[in-house]
Amino acid sequence: MIRLEGVRKRYPEADIDVLRGIDLTINAHDFVSIVGRSGSGKTTLLHLIGGLDSTYDGTIEVDGENLRSLEDDELSDLRSRKVGYVFQAYHLLDHLTCRENVSVAALFARGKMRREASRVRRRADELLATVGLEDAGHRSPTTLSGGERQRVALARALFHQPEILLCDEPTGNLDLETGHEIVEMLSEVHRTGEMTIVAATHDEKIAAAGARVLRLREGRFVGSEGGGK
Amino acid sequence: MIGRGWLRAVTADLCRHWRHFAAASVGIILGVAALTFFLALGLKVRELLLVQVFPANHIEVVPRSADIDLFALRLDLGRDALDAAVIADLASIEGVDAVYPKMRLTVPALASGGESLFGSGLQTEIVADGIDPKLVAGQVGGTFREVEGDRNSTRCSRDEQCGDDAYCDGALSFSGGSCQPYIPVLVSPFVVELYNGAFRRSYGLPKINPDALIGLTFEMDFGASTFRPSGLAPIRKRMRLAGVSDKAIPLGVTLPLGEVRRLNMALTGPAAGEQFHSAVIEIRSKQKAPAIVDAVEAMGLEVRDRGARRAAFATAVIMVVLALVGGVLIAVAAAHILHVFYLVVMVRRREIGLLRAVGARRGDIRNLLVAEAAVVGMVAGLLGLAAAFVAGLAADAFAASQVPDFPFKPESFFSFSPWLLVAVLTLAVVACVIGALPPAFRAASGDPSEALAGR
Repeated sequence: MIRLEGVRKRYPEADIDVLRGIDLTINAHDFVSIVGRSGSGKTTLLHLIGGLDSTYDGTIEVDGENLRSLEDDELSDLRSRKVGYVFQAYHLLDHLTCRENVSVAALFARGKMRREASRVRRRADELLATVGLEDAGHRSPTTLSGGERQRVALARALFHQPEILLCDEPTGNLDLETGHEIVEMLSEVHRTGEMTIVAATHDEKIAAAGARVLRLREGRFVGSEGGGK
Repeated sequence: MIGRGWLRAVTADLCRHWRHFAAASVGIILGVAALTFFLALGLKVRELLLVQVFPANHIEVVPRSADIDLFALRLDLGRDALDAAVIADLASIEGVDAVYPKMRLTVPALASGGESLFGSGLQTEIVADGIDPKLVAGQVGGTFREVEGDRNSTRCSRDEQCGDDAYCDGALSFSGGSCQPYIPVLVSPFVVELYNGAFRRSYGLPKINPDALIGLTFEMDFGASTFRPSGLAPIRKRMRLAGVSDKAIPLGVTLPLGEVRRLNMALTGPAAGEQFHSAVIEIRSKQKAPAIVDAVEAMGLEVRDRGARRAAFATAVIMVVLALVGGVLIAVAAAHILHVFYLVVMVRRREIGLLRAVGARRGDIRNLLVAEAAVVGMVAGLLGLAAAFVAGLAADAFAASQVPDFPFKPESFFSFSPWLLVAVLTLAVVACVIGALPPAFRAASGDPSEALAGR
């Protein structure tokens, strides 16, 4: 479960209050879409939930853990165990193969998350097959189309079987048809993977994939569809 | 981290920015090459001076000189010789295992012979000294020994009648001769080097193998001189070369001490039998050497080979100064590495943000960059060592073909000892790691959210 209470975020150097008191509860296995224009605070909200940004006011709890009480290394461990990210700009590492991109988290895995090299490779290939890129393992991401790159990024986010998948404008750089394919894939992942998905988008059609749609404007939630706060 | 995947990530990153790293590595390669080249050269030269010119476990003590130059003359106002009491005092110094007195032949001598080696007989004025055979027992074995007890009065008319170790003295005289033992002698490797390097060229003689000299016989007339008549009745003896030793007198021949003592006493009087011109001190360990030298100097004596030590020290200082140039190059290269890594970290800002997003800790980012620097240092270091080795080979080849032979000229002027290679390689790696540390810490401390946003 994800719980935010009175969360505020300010960028003092730009003199901007990005989030102005966010109260939000997301239950386990929910698929929530957060809709808002550019600059409305969607990305910032996802970064706060994933522990990428720890300078804020208020309270954020992920799976019962108060993020403010965690050290930086503990936040890293939380991400490596429970959180997967899909970014608008893919953020693939072009000097590695698709397989290596998918399994990049294995480089930093600790404890139970650590796998043998052969298992890492097998898991990466399985995920590439899941997103329809079974033959792309050895290829460089630079040889792929935008949609294919985002599918590799999705496979990367799923590598460590996260409980929470945070998607920041996952279709923002894709055409409509390819975007729908990605959304279909996310819906499939949600159905079969039993994970919580929080997707930020400015596209109403994409947002409709979520069971619950939250509208964010100027750092505040201004509407909710599909039940809950 | 998983080792293989981690190594792959490091090498992939390096390959991606290889131009930057190659440029930064040039300084490391040059620095390592220069440092290794000069240190290897310095080590070898020092080894030559201390091991061959100045034996490590022996110190030669001589009376302290007090020379005063007066026009063309140099007056020696110091003590001329060491007597038995001084030898006993030297033996009592803490850390001294043994004292071996040396006695110089105090009369002129002529050496003649060498037909078997040179084709015609050679006669030359020669100086000689005597040493205790125990001093060289480990080098030349038992062939160099006192032979007084071997003397006998067996009558003879030919050498063959006297066995292998003696000759027939006075075989051509009317009354026949008597068997006398060959006097074993030693020569210094310096003599052999001098012969092979310069003397043989002047006279068109062949180069000789020092081992082939063993067993060579020749005659010496003690008390005889072609330069200045001594007024003494010469004593003729036959010598046999027993070996080549660095303990032998540098220019001349070395006989067993007892033989020189008897000759000096017979030709100049009984007092000459107790006057030693120097003594070799065998020390228990090199660490004791400074204290022993101090004690020797406190007795009013001095250590002969300090010049060699000074030469070795001066050589070491020169090599260290030259090696410093290599060190400075490495330091400058480390600064270059720092700039390159700052650049690389800036370019990889979003990538580092992504790695943090998938679970990398700050330490992981730092380690990743440090590992890349270590690989750069290792590769550049190995290339630098290879360059130094090739330069050494080239220098040796040049020396072999262009530099005339000289005493103790080695086959190689470089000592690429394993510890030197490991130390310089470690230095290259450490320099690169130190250069990469500030950018690595900066990259690791950045906010992942801002890094992903490219801020």
